[in-house]
Amino acid sequence: MSLDLTLIFRALIFPGFAFILLLTFFCDWAERKIEARMQNRMGPTYTGPAGILQPLADFIKLLTKEDIVPNNTKGMIFRFTPILAFSTFVFALFFLPIDGANVILGSNFEGDLIFILALVSVGNFFLFLSGWSSTNAYSAIGATRVLTQFLGYDIPLFMLALTPAFLAKDLSISTIAASQDVPFALFIPWAFVLFIITLQAELEKDPFDVPHAETEIVGGYETEYSGRRLAFLKLAKDVQIVLGAVLVAELFLGGPFGPVLFGLSAFSYTLWFTIKVLFVVMITEYLTCIFARLRIDQVLNVNWKMLMPLSILALAASVAVMLWLSLVG
Amino acid sequence: MANAENKIMEALDYQLEDKILEAQKVRPERIFIKVNPDVHKDALKILLQEDENAGISAITGVDLKDNIELMYHVRTRGTIVTVRTEVCKENATIESITDLIPGADFHERETADLFGVTFRGHPNPARLILPENWPGNLFPLRKDAEIENIHSKLENAAVSCENRSSDDGKLVNIIVGPQHPALIEPEKFSLRVDGEIVKEVIPRIGYVHRGVEKATEKRTYLQNIYLVERICGICNACHATCFCQTVESIMGTESPARAKYLRTIVLELNRIQSHMLLLGHAGLEIGFESLFQYLWRDRESAMDMMELLTGNRVIASFITIGGVRRDLKEGDIPKIKTGLTALKERLDFYKELLETDSTLKMRMRNVGILRKDDALKLCVVGPVARASGVEIDVRKDDPYAAYGEIPFKIVTRNEGDSWARLMVRLDEISESIGIMNFALENLPKGPYRVRVPRIVPAGEALGRAEAPRGELFYYVKSNGTAYPERVKVRTPTFSNILSFVKIAKGGNIADVPASFVSLDPCFSCTDR
Repeated sequence: MSLDLTLIFRALIFPGFAFILLLTFFCDWAERKIEARMQNRMGPTYTGPAGILQPLADFIKLLTKEDIVPNNTKGMIFRFTPILAFSTFVFALFFLPIDGANVILGSNFEGDLIFILALVSVGNFFLFLSGWSSTNAYSAIGATRVLTQFLGYDIPLFMLALTPAFLAKDLSISTIAASQDVPFALFIPWAFVLFIITLQAELEKDPFDVPHAETEIVGGYETEYSGRRLAFLKLAKDVQIVLGAVLVAELFLGGPFGPVLFGLSAFSYTLWFTIKVLFVVMITEYLTCIFARLRIDQVLNVNWKMLMPLSILALAASVAVMLWLSLVG
Repeated sequence: MANAENKIMEALDYQLEDKILEAQKVRPERIFIKVNPDVHKDALKILLQEDENAGISAITGVDLKDNIELMYHVRTRGTIVTVRTEVCKENATIESITDLIPGADFHERETADLFGVTFRGHPNPARLILPENWPGNLFPLRKDAEIENIHSKLENAAVSCENRSSDDGKLVNIIVGPQHPALIEPEKFSLRVDGEIVKEVIPRIGYVHRGVEKATEKRTYLQNIYLVERICGICNACHATCFCQTVESIMGTESPARAKYLRTIVLELNRIQSHMLLLGHAGLEIGFESLFQYLWRDRESAMDMMELLTGNRVIASFITIGGVRRDLKEGDIPKIKTGLTALKERLDFYKELLETDSTLKMRMRNVGILRKDDALKLCVVGPVARASGVEIDVRKDDPYAAYGEIPFKIVTRNEGDSWARLMVRLDEISESIGIMNFALENLPKGPYRVRVPRIVPAGEALGRAEAPRGELFYYVKSNGTAYPERVKVRTPTFSNILSFVKIAKGGNIADVPASFVSLDPCFSCTDR
């Protein structure tokens, strides 16, 4: 019975659902603040200290708005994709070690890295479906752009995600994170850099934010959404960004593991985890600020002509490093 | 210059002989000739062949009670030649000249809407300015038009303008506007797209047509200054200057030298802030938000200078008939000069950025190319023309204010793509800073305005000015009272908007905002 209580607490409160939600809002705020400061603006200031409650306020505001389902939409798909996309991304986060262990204790297994990457693709597919079911020209174009982009960028993302697995000689993400006494980003910086670039595309951020280029196709796949469905669609995007940042932190920066402070391992692991995630968010925001948006054909060119071959090379080089490390070690 | 005019007259005399009913040279750079309705096309053909940079500036209609007078204003060899002809009001038809010069397309459609003149042989005689449900026999700019109770007269026919397409459902209709994030102001562009490629663009303007031209007829000249200023918020000083100069030339008044220099300073400041606004906006359109935020912050210093000079940040209300309304204090000159120096430093940074940033170049280089011959055919003006290698600038061709005395050079580029259009504007800001510095250093002493009577003698005049977006064109006809008989305004965007159809075709959807913004469209100007 006591075991069940722990399970429920871990799944719903910490480090499960509630914590992930808070982390998402916090990262969203950090993103907006970082971007604003880089662009010489203030960013959110009004709600809470330094505007920290702004993402929450926005979410609640959207929840209270009228929820419109246009007549022509493909009913069920249109209604459920936002919540499905959101839950898929949250579900993927459950398999990542946050306070030193997975959300559901002992749920890690050999190969969960592949499983998480698959969940990322499934979540993206829900985003595509949400636009496709809107039967609006802007949404349709936005949706096809999501699909084109993620079909291209999934392959390099998978390959680059595997490089740390080679170094750790394990396909379980918690083992990979735990085996980094020195972050892998230092051993294989090329894979780290490429992974960040691929992630920008996967997360639809500048210079790869073509699926919701508002000056071209208005809201992209979000165009027809309103009210609480839009709230969850936006939240799903934010969780996806957190998921991306967490993946980088786990695979290349040693995940939650770091020096234990004050003897509180769960506390200090969570602290390290949050700091690393914020670090990744900062890098992605920096990239967002310094680039203009590419065109969809240019995005694909970058993918197939640059990132694809480079990620294969990165994989090969990482295997070489692994061999060298095992010889030295 | 006088030489060029004689050559034009010789060519006309030689080829048309006695078909010219009347010819007069009212002042340098202005020729009026009168022909019969069937001869106007020949006359225009001769004029357009005179100069390789020739183009049509505007078509003005004037209601003469029984007849409607049509004036074709052609710019050739730096001179505006006006070919006037009269058509009967009852059966107002005339041969279209759009096949001769495609840039006349919109001018003819506008005249057809507002004066009820039918242009025979026009390729697309659809409504342009007025709404689809406007009564078919009501032409607002005719003097006898009754526009009271217009709402009860509107017809119930909401005809869509997209029914022209001839494909069998293979193309998707993407409608940009009237409400769209890429457009700040409401106009509609229907794009027919195949996947991501734009196959056809159908423009439809008139969504914010306020009838300013008609409204001017009900106001005194003095009131009209403030009315025309409000045609466009961004280039307001330019509208006011152009209007005042036109009225001054009917009156035969010359504004004092100091006023001319002060006008020049305000006009250039206007250009600086307008160009910076556009460059920042271009950043926004291609998803480069940081550029937008930075540029608009630096633009604030130009707005502050405007406030120092005129007392207002946006609508200057600075220029009046006979001079300017406010003098520049001696103590403010160093402040403006410091501001200009700081601005110049920032410009160097932006120039480096535009020249080197790779993603920006990927989005702007070789996008929306307008070749020189197309630019000439479509009669584009201002930076759009100059980026395609057409060297036209009213400040040089037809100097007004103090531009004749101030050294500056016309910035041109030959690439003709969106990037070149932005670069031309960036370099023009530098030129403007140079002009302002020169004007501030050589500001003549003396009065800054002369008092003029409220009643303007009967007569007519054309005025031109180089607005930030290109040639601004005014025609004012006075009937000897305090109220003008007719005021025609042709704004630069009205001339440039046709080129968008050209440059968007065959491009990517993603290039639509990028190439569109490089034209610096201003729709409140366009619709008036």
